[in-house]
Amino acid sequence: MSVPLARRLLAHDKRRTALAVIGIFLAIVLVFFELGLFFAVPRGGLLLYDHMRFDLMLTSNQYEYLSDPGAFAKSWLERVRAVPQVARVMPVYFASAKWQSGVGGRWPDLFVIGFATAASPFTGGGIDRQIAVLRRPDTILLDATTRPLFGPLTPGRVVTIDGRRETIGGTYRLGTGFMGLGVALVGQRNFARLFPLRGLNFVNLGAIALKPGVDPDRAAQEIRKIVPGDLRIFTRRQLEAHEIAYWTTRSAVGLIFGSGLVVAIAVGIMIVYQALATQISQHLPQFATLKAIGYGERSLYAALAAMAVMIMTAGFVPAALAALWLYAIIRRTTLLPTAMTGKEILLVIAASLAIAVISALLSAASLRRADPAEVFDRRPR
Amino acid sequence: MRAAPPLASPSGRFFVIGSVPLARRNLLANKKRLLRSLAGLGFAVLLILMQLGCERAFFESSLRVIHLLDGALFIQSAHKYRFITRQPFPPAVLERARQVPGVASVRPLYADWYDFFWKNPYTGKVFMVQVFAFDPDQPVFDLPAVTAHLAALQAPDTVLVDRRARPFLGMGGKAAAAELNGRRVRIVGRFALGPDFQSDGTVMMSARTFASLLPPGVARGVEAGIVTLKPGADPQAVARALKAALPSDIAVFTKAQLLRFERDFEARVSSAGIIFAMGTIVGFIVGALISYQIVYTDLADQLPQYATLKAIGYGPFYIARVVLRQAGLLAVGGWVPAFVASLLLYRILGELALIPFTTSPYIIIASFALTLGMCLLSAVFAMMPAVAADPAEVF
Repeated sequence: MSVPLARRLLAHDKRRTALAVIGIFLAIVLVFFELGLFFAVPRGGLLLYDHMRFDLMLTSNQYEYLSDPGAFAKSWLERVRAVPQVARVMPVYFASAKWQSGVGGRWPDLFVIGFATAASPFTGGGIDRQIAVLRRPDTILLDATTRPLFGPLTPGRVVTIDGRRETIGGTYRLGTGFMGLGVALVGQRNFARLFPLRGLNFVNLGAIALKPGVDPDRAAQEIRKIVPGDLRIFTRRQLEAHEIAYWTTRSAVGLIFGSGLVVAIAVGIMIVYQALATQISQHLPQFATLKAIGYGERSLYAALAAMAVMIMTAGFVPAALAALWLYAIIRRTTLLPTAMTGKEILLVIAASLAIAVISALLSAASLRRADPAEVFDRRPR
Repeated sequence: MRAAPPLASPSGRFFVIGSVPLARRNLLANKKRLLRSLAGLGFAVLLILMQLGCERAFFESSLRVIHLLDGALFIQSAHKYRFITRQPFPPAVLERARQVPGVASVRPLYADWYDFFWKNPYTGKVFMVQVFAFDPDQPVFDLPAVTAHLAALQAPDTVLVDRRARPFLGMGGKAAAAELNGRRVRIVGRFALGPDFQSDGTVMMSARTFASLLPPGVARGVEAGIVTLKPGADPQAVARALKAALPSDIAVFTKAQLLRFERDFEARVSSAGIIFAMGTIVGFIVGALISYQIVYTDLADQLPQYATLKAIGYGPFYIARVVLRQAGLLAVGGWVPAFVASLLLYRILGELALIPFTTSPYIIIASFALTLGMCLLSAVFAMMPAVAADPAEVF
């Protein structure tokens, strides 16, 4: 009887129920908002890796995260190439340069990624079809989300980078993530010309592609045997976990959106609790009657829980739709890659259920007051 | 605040009712429900306070260093797009600046964000750090913990470290030495600065130590000139004179201008402003909804009472005023505990995130205005039925 009772209670005062549903809708939107940002930050940190082909990644053991990876001698990567399971190795070089052609005479910092055009580790975003452009001397590709501070990204524009004239060969769409305000891809020969002191003898990342069917963990063990202890080898999954942990625990970002999430859940609990408690106080005599005619407290609690879940469900679908729209705005205005993934939806459902259960438990206290003898005794009206 | 006198009281008969604090009594009639209402409202206000606090912490973390620089005017490369980036200029510029009338002193600040690698003395792990350097005879930071160790900094390879740096750097604790760019440096003191969104920790040293630790191939020069003025000199006028005397690729800022320059940069390129504004708006809507629910429920319950008031001659404005006053009281009741809770929360978040979570007059005013706004707005919408209550119909 709990579910029909809950339904009838909610149907009784439609305006009040509508208010509760709108309230919970907003609370769920809020949970989506905070959770979306919470996940968008590590996803932003993973943008580059998401667009690279590799099964294993060789780095220095000083590797902190993408933008602070340390460096190691390229010769180790050559050795790894000889391992039978390895299909190919792709060195990646990072450096920072001054973009001396910014708007208003400003010189913003440019994050430069160098790689061998013959062994490009990058995929998607329109990079593949522009590899030939990078073989031209003094030519760069720019990320399309490079900030307006850098001026127009028009192909053919000649700019000055660290005192060298470079031509913009085109743009690719990958996202600058947390690499900087502007990101450029260059062929390794051009990289060496831009950063003569840096050279090509030390690489920041060694992307390793394995032959088809090779188990990455096994291959990692094999490579481990031939490289020294000051190098580190990640499988793709390990690297992703490492980056996510970095962004959620090491930076303040995880903490900020994490605490926002907690407050959002508390607000949700308050809204549903308020809606339920009002229902109970309005219908105290009815609940007392139900008790008097023999319904146990348990079934009344069940009705409460059913009401909470119903309000929740009604609020959830529109909230998810609103969140999709909100995510699109965030993506456009902040460049943070918010996305509605299965994991996110499941977590929001879990948070919503937690809100429903906790608020039902809180309001159960008022239900206990529905003592038949007392309720009717106290009603002089 | 007293309730307004009744609109219709030819004989003074209703005087007693008129002075009854109806709004307060209405609220206190059901204490349990009031508590529940305030809790709901309080959480919505807390949400707004959190968003405002996060926004402030975000911006303040990058402005903290500028606040600590002890000068009236600042000289830096005009190519800088923000303070926290390397763009050194020749020291000769400072020599020229010293000759400008009104200038008392120009002290060099050296800085780097990309070329200094600190080895955690406890774990041996290496991290990039922010470095500031200056001549110990001409200190530039208004930070007692730095000023106290100037003499010790004169010795080569001595450093001061930030004990509020992120813990994984190992700058806290008792370690007396560490490695910086592969060289052993002696830690002669610790100051409290804290990380920002660009760097995890800061090391300070003398200009000489800085020059010897900077890797070869990195551009050398002064990062900023910190200018103090002679007594009575007008900062704006001296800034103009400096601008005229120095090369065109050098910019001169007052402290307020430099703070605005950095803040504008953060606001333009980072998304923090937008994100926290969105959060604040959602908090406002949630709060308005909660308070609507509170006022509406209360009015619905008391509809007969309001109808009675109308029947005995009180007009709709009187009732509206009672409801608005009630909403105002609700706003105060929801805001005060939320504000107290926010102070505690800021404290906790500040300690965990190590960024400056503090309240400010702006946060206090903005959060209260938003709270009052959402309560009054929702009261206006909720009071429609009560104001329109027709005594004949209700009974």
